[in-house]
Amino acid sequence: MSYFKALAYKIKQILGGIKMKKLFISIFIFFSPAAVLMGITPEEILERMLENQVHDTARIEGKMIIQDRFGKKTVTFVSWSRGEDNALIEFTSKYEAGQKILRNEDELYLYFPDAEEVIRLQGAALRQSVLGSDFSYEDMTGEKDLLDSYKVTLLGSEEVDGHDCYKLQLEAVSRNVPYPREILWVDKELFIYRKVHKFSLSGRLLKEMRITRFTRQNGKVIPVELLMEDKMKKNSSTEFIIQKIEIGIPIPEEKFSLRELTW
Amino acid sequence: MKLARIALRNIRRNKRRSTLSASATAIASMAIVFMFSLISGMKEDMEKNISSYVSGHVRIREAQYNKYEHLNPLHLRITDYEKILPELSSDQRVEAFSARINFPTTIYREEELHRAMAVGLNFTTEVSFMDLESVIIRGRLPENGNNEVIIGFKLAEELGIGVDDRITLLATTMRKSINAMTFKIAGIAAFPIGSYNKTHLMIPLDRVQYLLRMDKSVTEILVKLNNPREAASFAEELNREFKTSGNTELEVQSWKNISIIYGFMSMAQVIYGFIALIFFLLASTVLINTTMMVIFERMREIGTIAAMGMTGKEIVRLFFYEAVFLSIVGAFAGLIVGVGITLPLSAYGLDFGAAMQGIDIEISDIIYPRLNLFSTIFVFFYAVVVSSLASLIPSTRAAKIQPVEALRYTG
Repeated sequence: MSYFKALAYKIKQILGGIKMKKLFISIFIFFSPAAVLMGITPEEILERMLENQVHDTARIEGKMIIQDRFGKKTVTFVSWSRGEDNALIEFTSKYEAGQKILRNEDELYLYFPDAEEVIRLQGAALRQSVLGSDFSYEDMTGEKDLLDSYKVTLLGSEEVDGHDCYKLQLEAVSRNVPYPREILWVDKELFIYRKVHKFSLSGRLLKEMRITRFTRQNGKVIPVELLMEDKMKKNSSTEFIIQKIEIGIPIPEEKFSLRELTW
Repeated sequence: MKLARIALRNIRRNKRRSTLSASATAIASMAIVFMFSLISGMKEDMEKNISSYVSGHVRIREAQYNKYEHLNPLHLRITDYEKILPELSSDQRVEAFSARINFPTTIYREEELHRAMAVGLNFTTEVSFMDLESVIIRGRLPENGNNEVIIGFKLAEELGIGVDDRITLLATTMRKSINAMTFKIAGIAAFPIGSYNKTHLMIPLDRVQYLLRMDKSVTEILVKLNNPREAASFAEELNREFKTSGNTELEVQSWKNISIIYGFMSMAQVIYGFIALIFFLLASTVLINTTMMVIFERMREIGTIAAMGMTGKEIVRLFFYEAVFLSIVGAFAGLIVGVGITLPLSAYGLDFGAAMQGIDIEISDIIYPRLNLFSTIFVFFYAVVVSSLASLIPSTRAAKIQPVEALRYTG
């Protein structure tokens, strides 16, 4: 703070009659994030992006519009999440009503109202499509510990849909990740990814994700509409739309328990 | 007639030689009768399996279903199948019909996922279509309306499950979502198609419609005809009827027009024909070889009877008669033994299960040879004609040789 005061005093001496309020606005603009972060590390870019994406707690109401070669369908859901480790999604659309997906740290469970047991998914099964969408179970429940699982490299800057972005490359250092390599285009101003490419081990593009709309809430920039395309499927895409989001709300721990899942 | 009597006397005179010669004909005839019966049994088995389990004699599907079958297009379905069934049932040409839903599924068992194939069918009507009662080796058939299944015995062994155990099935629904339901194992089945035992489950149709969110619809209707030869004309007629009544989205195919199945049956026919041809050639070689050997062996005898004044034509006729008599006896004995072996096997069957391991075709592990009257009679005449004609070659040659040379013949 003293640095800013000293700087302001000096500038006041130079510029004379400029009001302090105006001065601070000028400083704020001058020290805008894009400018300040000229020397930012790739890890810091990723951290700032994750700050926008990961919430202490969140409740979301949304829908997925799934398009394949045979047509379009809409699936609605409500989800609760706590940090990176816990997520519960409950589907509410007519044909999927009551189905739930629970993620607790590395465990993923499926609940179906007509099944007598909860299904624990593991291994290759996690890569299966969620309700025929372009998202896999791993995609839906979020990639966690990105910084621990991937080596991050800044490849440079590129524009995506007119937005200046950092181009980051993520290379897996752990086998326990869904995609061995990813390239993220992170908006330099908003610190949200504008586009993500997910690759196979052989370097084949598997999925492309784009953010088409975002909102600001609690000081965060939150993507609310994104488009996922599974490049292995013909004429396939999924629009993921968040219709309502509440962050920082109290969610009891039991919400993410297996007992709660079967209720 | 005199020559015929001499021929008979010759046969009786050297019993060992005659027995040997007739035995060769008998063995060849027996082998052909058995092989023909086995091949006939295989063909019948394959046709029965394909018509019962795969395509019926006629198959009704949504017109686009075949094109996208690899994508499990459950939405390409027959929605008003309950209206079509009464029409089929009133047709005199129809023996039975079956409305089904075929779909891939995943069995969840002890935190492991196992891929399988499932068929949803009406167990009440299906009993007459593919005699399901006979395939149950433990337990019973499921009841419509209950969450029950029958499962191939090899799949049950792999999963370590038995009757009354419960399994959860995951499947992609008609809307490409996922659903899961828990079912009780009502029975363990030994399906006639070996590969089905490792892969298949059968579930009441109404429960499958619920699991897959298909409402009151099916993916196919299979029709069995009293006369399978009418399949093409029946399919054509049904296609016309559907078009007239505005059901243009449906397609009816005769099993001969279902490319994979027809191709498979055609390939099987060629293979069976080839096996039969090889057997025919081998048997013919045995017949010709034995007859010729027997005559060449008797060159000195031919020289003697020629020296006594028998003409060449008479010698040829004499040996021809001998060959005819011996082949009649041999072929008849061969048929009796062949039929004697085939008849019990046609009741109890031959187990090719071990040999068929890993071969994914619509053929049963146990094959029941089928005797065919026409082919059996044909084999009899074939053996007699080949053996008799085979005698003409050496005897004609022998008849042309001077008696002195024939007497000196050392073979």
